[in-house]
Amino acid sequence: MRAAIETQGLTRRFGQHLAVDGLSMTVPERAVYGFLGRNGAGKTTTLKLLLGLLGPTEGSAKVCGIDVGPDRIGAARRVGALLEAHGFYGTLTGRENLDLTRRLMGLPIPEIDRVLEVVDLTDAARRRVSDYSLGMRQRLGLARAMLGAPPVLVLDEPTNGLDPDGIVDMRRFLKALPERTGATVLLSSHLLGEIEQVATHVGIVNEGRLVLEGEFEALKAELAPEIGLRVDDPQRAAPILRSHDLTVRSEVDGLVVRLRPGADHDQATARLNRDLIEAGVQVFAIGSRRPSLEGIYRDVTMSSAQPRSETV
Amino acid sequence: MLAVLSVEVRKLNRSLALLLALAAPTLIAIFVFFNMLRGKEPQPWEMYLQSSTAIWAFFMLPMSVTALTALVAQMEHGPRAWDHLRCLPLARWKLYAAKAICVLAAVAIMSVLNLALTWGAVTLASTIKPVLVPTGVFDLGAQAVLLGKVLLSATLMIAIQFWIALRFSSFVPALAVGIGGTFFSVVATSAKQGVFFPWQMPINMLAVEPWRVTTALVLGGGLGLVMLMLAVAHLSRREVL
Repeated sequence: MRAAIETQGLTRRFGQHLAVDGLSMTVPERAVYGFLGRNGAGKTTTLKLLLGLLGPTEGSAKVCGIDVGPDRIGAARRVGALLEAHGFYGTLTGRENLDLTRRLMGLPIPEIDRVLEVVDLTDAARRRVSDYSLGMRQRLGLARAMLGAPPVLVLDEPTNGLDPDGIVDMRRFLKALPERTGATVLLSSHLLGEIEQVATHVGIVNEGRLVLEGEFEALKAELAPEIGLRVDDPQRAAPILRSHDLTVRSEVDGLVVRLRPGADHDQATARLNRDLIEAGVQVFAIGSRRPSLEGIYRDVTMSSAQPRSETV
Repeated sequence: MLAVLSVEVRKLNRSLALLLALAAPTLIAIFVFFNMLRGKEPQPWEMYLQSSTAIWAFFMLPMSVTALTALVAQMEHGPRAWDHLRCLPLARWKLYAAKAICVLAAVAIMSVLNLALTWGAVTLASTIKPVLVPTGVFDLGAQAVLLGKVLLSATLMIAIQFWIALRFSSFVPALAVGIGGTFFSVVATSAKQGVFFPWQMPINMLAVEPWRVTTALVLGGGLGLVMLMLAVAHLSRREVL
């Protein structure tokens, strides 16, 4: 499969601060690529480098095979962007705002109706943007990004500030985008749950470096199985679990034990259950669970900071 | 380029630019009207027109340019529209050049309005008080040339204000420089050194000594156009963080 976006050793330095550090990423065509990292990890800087808003200190970025550095305009023709700062003119209506961008891009007038329909904003298009809710602005931003039907959409934190209903709508919309428009979506977020529910591919950035990348389902399949436990006293349970030479970590809903690759899941569960009960630890729940994006994220970000992850 | 210009005009149409373009010449005309009514004897047309042009050149023009460039810049700084505009598939210099052309065009329109409204004020005042009917002829051609020279000599000041207003996202630096420049233009209107001071170059178009007119026109116009092109080039190349 061809790459819609490809970077090679992309680096950007601001004075002494290395914001993006040799980042090489590949976004396959028609993927919904979740670009994940905490605030300040380098996500927005990477997106700005892809859009030609910033120049790289080293490395290169390509959109649909076009190098952004020497041919920014050529690359820009193939990408639509929804950035954190929308840049709408509040005194103009939604339609008028779209019309300004349409004129700058030299597109025909019916293009406005097409994108308004895609984001379900036709009825509100004649209202001034200053009267729009944040969710409507986000949708208008998406409509503007889709003007000219670019093959790549770059969306920076599209669920930021949305209410729960707005998040659900946006999630449904993003998930259906590749099918509806044929576009590849690069979606940045610091919200693990959002990416998990929408993305087909994942890239995790930590301190400017891409620490993990791949197809989401394949990444999960590669991981060793996990067992989730709820016990009365996690502090007492932890040394017992560790004595089985397992990786143990604490999550909001209990302890999670990572088995060694190839270990028999049922046997391990039965052994752990028996040992905990014999030690007087009350076990409320024990069972296998699918590896989550949170688990993957914690593993790769912690292992890039320290050699081994084992925390309770 | 025409598409970019039309977009700028559309944005300005929905801002308060029109009010600003009307306010400055109107205020001058109101002053000329009431000042004229205080007179007891008729004066030549040239005197009224020169008085209006002088007020325009040393005070209203620099203040209007300060406000206009700040308005044009804040249209993008305010909603943080630069990222969107700068990642569109078009040459960035066109975005800035269109803004510069709009500012120059707005100042030109204000110059024409200044002349028209001054004529209207003088005509109205002399209708109310016929004894004040101006003597001599209303030399439209000469006045148009004079206002053209004032505009051309103001190009350097416009370029400086334009660059500062677009370079800094806060409007304070542009206002501080504009108010400071206008202040010295007002308090030292007849200073010989003023011919080298961008904010005083326009008033030097009314100077009696030909060297002052020529120097201010060449510096303000020539250097101004170069400065304006450099400003557009710099703004389109710099990164907006």
